[in-house]
Amino acid sequence: MTDNNSEATRRLNIKRQTLDDAYAAPANFLEIDVINPITHGIGKKRYTDYEVRMRTNLPVFKLKDSTVRRRYSDFEWLRNELERDSKIVVPNLPGKALKKQIPLFRQDDGIYEEDFIEDRRKGLEVFVNKIAGHPLAQNERCLHMFLQDSNIDKNYIPGKIRNS
Amino acid sequence: MDEQEKLLEECMRNVKQESFQMKRCMDKDRLMDAIKHASTILMELRTSSLTPKNYYELFMGVCAELNHLQIFMLDEFAKGNRLTELYELVQYASNIIPRLYLLVTVGVVFIKSNENSRKDIMKDLVEMCRGVQHPLRGLFLRNYLLQETKHVLPDVADAPLASSDNGETNSVLTQSGTVFDSVDFILANFAEMNKLWVRMQHQGHSRDKVRRERERQELRLLVGTNLVRLSQLESIDIEKYSKHVLPGVLEQTVSCRDAIAQEYLMECVIQVFPDEFHLETLSTLLKACSELQPGLPPSLTLSPSFPLEDIVALEVALVNLALKCYPDRTDLVDQVLQNVDVIFQKQHVDEVPGDSAVCKELAKLLKIPLDHYQDILTVLQLPNYGKILAYLNFKPRKEISLYVAHNIVDHCTIISQQEQVEALLVMLTPLIEDHASFPVDPTDEEFVEEQTVVGKLIHFLKAEELDQQYLILGIARKFFGNGGIHRVCYTLPTILFAAYDLAYSYYLSEAEDPKWSKKCQKIFQFCHQTISVLAKLELFEVSVRLFLQGALAVSRTPFENNEQVAYEYMTQAFSIYEEEISDSKLQMMCVLLVIGTLEKIECFTEENHEPLRTQCALAAAKLLKKPDQCRALVAAANVFWSGKVRGGDAELRDTKRVMDCLKKALRVASQCMDNLVKIQLYVEVVDAYSLFQLRGVDQVTDETIVQMLQKIQEELPTLDVSDESVHINKYFQNSLDQLKKTKPELPF
Repeated sequence: MTDNNSEATRRLNIKRQTLDDAYAAPANFLEIDVINPITHGIGKKRYTDYEVRMRTNLPVFKLKDSTVRRRYSDFEWLRNELERDSKIVVPNLPGKALKKQIPLFRQDDGIYEEDFIEDRRKGLEVFVNKIAGHPLAQNERCLHMFLQDSNIDKNYIPGKIRNS
Repeated sequence: MDEQEKLLEECMRNVKQESFQMKRCMDKDRLMDAIKHASTILMELRTSSLTPKNYYELFMGVCAELNHLQIFMLDEFAKGNRLTELYELVQYASNIIPRLYLLVTVGVVFIKSNENSRKDIMKDLVEMCRGVQHPLRGLFLRNYLLQETKHVLPDVADAPLASSDNGETNSVLTQSGTVFDSVDFILANFAEMNKLWVRMQHQGHSRDKVRRERERQELRLLVGTNLVRLSQLESIDIEKYSKHVLPGVLEQTVSCRDAIAQEYLMECVIQVFPDEFHLETLSTLLKACSELQPGLPPSLTLSPSFPLEDIVALEVALVNLALKCYPDRTDLVDQVLQNVDVIFQKQHVDEVPGDSAVCKELAKLLKIPLDHYQDILTVLQLPNYGKILAYLNFKPRKEISLYVAHNIVDHCTIISQQEQVEALLVMLTPLIEDHASFPVDPTDEEFVEEQTVVGKLIHFLKAEELDQQYLILGIARKFFGNGGIHRVCYTLPTILFAAYDLAYSYYLSEAEDPKWSKKCQKIFQFCHQTISVLAKLELFEVSVRLFLQGALAVSRTPFENNEQVAYEYMTQAFSIYEEEISDSKLQMMCVLLVIGTLEKIECFTEENHEPLRTQCALAAAKLLKKPDQCRALVAAANVFWSGKVRGGDAELRDTKRVMDCLKKALRVASQCMDNLVKIQLYVEVVDAYSLFQLRGVDQVTDETIVQMLQKIQEELPTLDVSDESVHINKYFQNSLDQLKKTKPELPF
């Protein structure tokens, strides 16, 4: 029986983890908050934008802590760019709520209703975290521009960012 | 019912169902099938959606079922149905959670039924459990391992040496393991659990940090159980503890750089192991404590908020420990204080906010040495005590100061060295000086009580040598002089009385110190200046009193020139009275005090005494209210009778001036409009007359007295009946009785 056991408990030798490794903070910290929606303008020029705040320790990103303001159409732009250039399956955005945009069909404030904006905010946050967490998307220039440049240059030259 | 409860209920329902199936299989002796159902039960523990609390509930439910399985297998083994390949078989379970739980269950059954396999299996189990790296699931798996192995850990000291006669015993011991194997086993488990526990901190969104920290606190017991288990190994002695156990625990504790873990684990170590062990390893412990620090690497942008209060609480525990083990080693206590200082500096803490948890812990820390030594002198020897005190803001610092003051007064600690006095007074600054943002309310009871204690404390600043004492009083004067109007009236008088005493002590030891006379002059100069400070702050009443007290003190200390000094004190009292005191009641009181003082002073020659006593009579006659005049004049009469002049042994006995005063008093009394007051004064004056007659003033005749008595008796019935009139009647009757006793021949 003793022999049987030493047979059963024989294992491959593995490399021991060092104390520093064991207690190190994760090297892939990434957190994006979509918060603080503000509705600007009146009439046809009316729109809502959101604060997109990113904190990370991933070396691929130039800034470790950045804040930009983006509106729904900017998210759409990002989605389209990724769809076209990257090989990843890009997740969907929260719906466009076309019905809400036609004044005839509504009594309320349509897409400027607080509840609607909150739902959309949540949806956008899920969307952008999924994308930014994807190792392939992390190399796309459009994502970096979207997250870290104060203005999106839509005439940019698409391309990859190498992990320096 | 919330979401969590629903989830838990569903899991528990599944456990119940499968458990029923498992037991049916056991009834039919189908072990492998029972294991399969157990495996299904264990699948429930794969969930990620339960909170730690609910996961614990589920875990307990599952453990109960696994226990049935274990008992069943033990029975089978006892019956001789040994399934030697079982340990290998369960490793084919497809999912890691059931696989490892089953491996532990079977492993423990193997150990229980045959100790010889113990060492190998223990080592294997603790290693295999690394397979689960999810913090919550890993922690509970290892908790299961720890709980199941509780009673099977080898607890015998080292195996006999190879030279032992009995080679067989030796080999069996190596197979079944020694206490060292248990230590290795638990330490390995501890290191892994601590890692998982610390790692929990990094899971999820940073905005949930508070919740995550709370959950970690809920789970800390799981990690701590390892230490408890270590402490339960009976064959661990001090040597094994200090060489094998403690270093392993501290290595993980220090390296993890996690505040919650460090704080809890240090507390745990101190609590679970006996004090004798700590005594032996105190320096190691202290060193480890100094290495605890905020651990988040700066590259990560999570805001590191380190619970300082917990660190301080830990230091509190350490100070207590140090004091318990080495009551005389003040250096250890100071080292702990220094640790706190270093930690605060590292964290750039300049001042701890009041009412914060850190503040509370810090106050606790500072009170310990006071409570323990009950001797401020020892505390003053701790170089870092003051530094730590300085971190507190005004209010808690004052609280500690007051604690110190009470400590000194309660234990009658004499502070006899200049440097000690200076250090102490610096420490007590919050009680001594005003603080810009905390205005003082002089009528506040707490304030009065606090300053009273401070006043008392001054009496304990006492050097053995007189010259030293003079210097100490100088220091005290300098500190307390800054106290502002509301405090000096509590503190400076005490210093003055101490100074008066000091002068007298110089006089008593005049034979030993040829310069005593000069020194006394200096002291009274010091006192004069000090009282002048009070007068400048418009504390006139107390200034008058202190000058008069000073004059008395000068009078009884016959140093060179003391007459001039006493005269100066008296005239100062007079001039403050005349120039500054306007309330008629206070005026009356001052005149009486001056008269009483002059009567007792014996150092004046006629040249100085004469103007002073005349001044007394004048001041008495100049009082505003007639009744005050009358009574003050009666008092002044005493100065002319029993006052003493330097050189002459006898009292003055100036009958003429005595009579002047008395007659004047009588006249003033007769001028009173209020009958009640008038008769009251008559009675008092007649008392005075008869007293002086008794003393031998011939000018007071029986006739005068009888006349006055008759007058009073005539007027008494005219008074309306009232409490006062009853009182006067009684007073008069008493005077009469007394008179008749001393002069029975009086024709009245």
